[in-house]
Amino acid sequence: MTTTTPMTSSQLTGTDQLSGAARTPSATTGQTSRRRIRKDVLRSRIAAWTAVVVIGCFGLLPVYWLLATALSTPESTFQFPPKLIPTDLTLSNFTALAENDQLIKYLVNSMIVATITAVLSVVVATYMGYSFSKFRYRGRRSLMHMVLASQMFPQALLLVTLYAVFSSFGLLNTYTALVLSFTTFTMPLCVWMLKGIFDTIPDALLEAASIDGASRWRTLHSIVAPLAAPGMIAAGLFAFVRGWNDFIFAVTLADKEKQTLPPGLVSTYIGEFQTAWPELMAASLVVSVPVVVAFMFLQRYLVGGMTAGSVK
Amino acid sequence: MTTNGISRRGALRMFGIGALGVAGAGVLGACAPSGASTSTNGGDTKSKNFDFTSWSLNEEAAKPSIEKIIKAWETEQKSKIRAVSYPYNEYLSQLTLKLGGGETTGAVHLDIAWLAAVAQMGKLADLGSVAGKGGYTDVALNSGKYDGKQYGLPWNTGSIGLIANSKLLKKAGIDKQPTTVEEFEDALRELKGLGGGVVPYAAATKVAQLKDIFPWMQTFGCKLLDGEKVTIGDDASIDAVTWYKKLHDAKLIAADVDRFDARALFSQGKAAFYDDAIIGKGVTSAQSKDKTLADAMQPVPRPVLKAGDTPQALLWGGVIAIVKGKGQDAATDFALHATTDPETIAQYFVERALPPSTTAGLADPKVAKDTFTTEWTEKITKTATGSPFWQFAQNAQIEEAVAKQVQAVLVGKSKPKDAMKQAGEEVSDLIKR
Repeated sequence: MTTTTPMTSSQLTGTDQLSGAARTPSATTGQTSRRRIRKDVLRSRIAAWTAVVVIGCFGLLPVYWLLATALSTPESTFQFPPKLIPTDLTLSNFTALAENDQLIKYLVNSMIVATITAVLSVVVATYMGYSFSKFRYRGRRSLMHMVLASQMFPQALLLVTLYAVFSSFGLLNTYTALVLSFTTFTMPLCVWMLKGIFDTIPDALLEAASIDGASRWRTLHSIVAPLAAPGMIAAGLFAFVRGWNDFIFAVTLADKEKQTLPPGLVSTYIGEFQTAWPELMAASLVVSVPVVVAFMFLQRYLVGGMTAGSVK
Repeated sequence: MTTNGISRRGALRMFGIGALGVAGAGVLGACAPSGASTSTNGGDTKSKNFDFTSWSLNEEAAKPSIEKIIKAWETEQKSKIRAVSYPYNEYLSQLTLKLGGGETTGAVHLDIAWLAAVAQMGKLADLGSVAGKGGYTDVALNSGKYDGKQYGLPWNTGSIGLIANSKLLKKAGIDKQPTTVEEFEDALRELKGLGGGVVPYAAATKVAQLKDIFPWMQTFGCKLLDGEKVTIGDDASIDAVTWYKKLHDAKLIAADVDRFDARALFSQGKAAFYDDAIIGKGVTSAQSKDKTLADAMQPVPRPVLKAGDTPQALLWGGVIAIVKGKGQDAATDFALHATTDPETIAQYFVERALPPSTTAGLADPKVAKDTFTTEWTEKITKTATGSPFWQFAQNAQIEEAVAKQVQAVLVGKSKPKDAMKQAGEEVSDLIKR
C-alpha cells in the first residue's frame, strides 16, 4: 500500500514548466521535492517488503523445513551441515504413513475426542456465559472468577487429580476420560469468550422477545444463539484445537486403543535411541491438514468471534 | 447489563479462589478413592495373564522382536499378556503414576538408571531367589540390584563408552588407540590437523547430554558421591572440567553438540570419536551414506589419567522387574525366559544388536562372532559402573544441575572452580530433599 502527498499548485506549475536547461529556481525546488517524495515512497516500499519477507520467512521456514524433511531420505536428513534445499526426495514417508493402521486409529481417536470436546465446551459455555452475562444472582462474580481461576491450575496437578478420580470411577482408558479432561482446560476460556459476546447483545432485544411472549429458553435458542453464532464457532474451534494438540492428558489417561495423535506420533517415531524425523514430519504434515482446513473454512467466524464484544 | 473488567478486589478474589482450588485439588487427589492404592497391584498372583510394560513396544525397530517373544510365550503357556507402552521420555513419570495408582501389574521393562526410583515405591518383588537360576554375568546382575535386593532381571547389559572411526584415525596417522588422557589429547590434535571441518571428538556440549562429563570426572579421580557426601567441587572435578574447557577452546570438541548431533557428525565422517551406548553402532551407521562405516567403528576404553588406572564408563542397559500382585508368578517366569532362554536371547541379539546379560548368551556363536559386541563387552562394559546418583529420585535434576554448570564453563560464563562448587552445592541440596 502506498501513500502520496498532495502537491501544491506551485509544484505542479513547476513540473509543467520544466524544459531543457531553462529551469527556474521554483522548478528545481519542485523537482527536488518530487524526487524526495519518490525516494520516500520507494524507501517505505522497500521497508514494507523487507518486513513482509522477514516475517514471512520467520513464519514459513518451519513449515518449509517440515515439508522438506518429510520428503527427504533418512540419510539426507542427517546431513551435516544441513542443506536448505534437499536433493534426495522421496514420497516413501507418506506411503508408509498410509500403511500404518495404528496411526489411522490415533487419527480417528483425535477426531472423535476433539470434536466432542469442542461441542461439549460450546454447549456448556453457552449456557454459563449467557447466565453470567444476562442474569444477576448471588455469587455470580465469584463463580465467574472461579471459572477463570481454574485456568491457573498447573496441568500436572489437575492430571494427578483427574487420574485418581477417573481411576476410582473406572473411566481410565475411555473417550469419556479424555473428553472430560480436555474440557477442563477448554471450558473456562470458552465461557469468558461467550460471555463477552452475549454482553454485546442489547437487553432491549431480549425484553422485546419477552414482551412478544418468548420464554427465556426460546429467547436464548431462537434469538441470542443465532446472533452469537460466530463467537460460538470461534470458541468451538479454539476448544477443538486445544483438544487436538493435547499430549499430556492423552498419554496419561488413555491406553493405546484410545490414544490420540500427539502421544501416538511420539510413541511411534521418537524412540530411545533415535527419532524417525522424515516419517514424523510426514505424519505431522498430514495430521495438521484437518486443523488447517477447519481454519480456512471458519476463519471469518473466528476473527468475528474473537473480536466480538471488544467494542460496544 | 454490565460487564465489568476485573477490579483489584476481583483479581485478589480470583487468586484466592485459585489458591484454594489448587489446595482443594490436591486434597481431592489425595482423598480420591484410588482403587489403586487399596487394591494396589493386588489380585491373583498365580494368574497366567499379566501385563508387560515396555517403552520398546511402541518403537518400530523393537516392537516386532518383542511381540514375537510375547506371542511365543502366550502360545506355549496358554496365557494372555497385555502389552502396555509409553514413550521413552515419558516412561518413568507415567510408570510411577500408574504403579502408584495400581494400574500396572506383571512385568515392567526398566532402564537401569530408573530401577532405584521405582524400587523405592515398594511395589516391586524381590527376585533374589530367581536371579540365581539365570546364569547372568556379575556386571549384569548388579545392574538389577538396589539396596542389596535383586529387583530386576537383567535383559540387556552394556555401557556408554567411546566409539572411534578407525578410517579417520588411520588417515591422521594414529595406529594405536590412545590409552591415557595425554595420548588422547595428542590424537585429537593430530585429527584436527586433517582439516575439512573434522571435529576430533564429538563430545557432548549441550546440557541435554552433558552428563557425559561424569565419567571424565571419575577419570580425573572424582568419586561424585562418597558415602553421603557429594564430592563434585573437589580438585579432581575441577581438573576434569578445566580439561574439557581446554579441548573446547582448542576446537578439539565442538560447541552445541548433543548425542544426535554427534551421531550425525560421525555418520558423515566428520568426527573421529564420540560417546554412545553400544547400540550406537547400528543407529549411527544406518544414518550414513558410507556403507563401510560400520566396519570402521571401534569401541575404545575411555583413556585414563595415568597408565594402570581403570577405564571409566557408565553402565547402561535394561532389566525386567516384577510388580507384586496379580500375575506375579507367571510374569517372573516370563521375565526369566525372555532374559535367559538361549534361543530367545540369541534371536533377540540378531534382530536388535543388544548384548545379552548371561554368560551363555554372550558365548552364543551368533553373539560371539560379532567382534564389535565382544570387544565392547571386554573393553568397556567390564569396568563400567552405574551412576551413584541413580539411587535418588532427583537424578534427572542432579544431572541437569551439573550439566548447566559445565556448560557455563564452556561458554566462558563461569570459572571451573566456581562452577563445580556451585554444582556440588546444588546437588547436595537436591539430595537432601
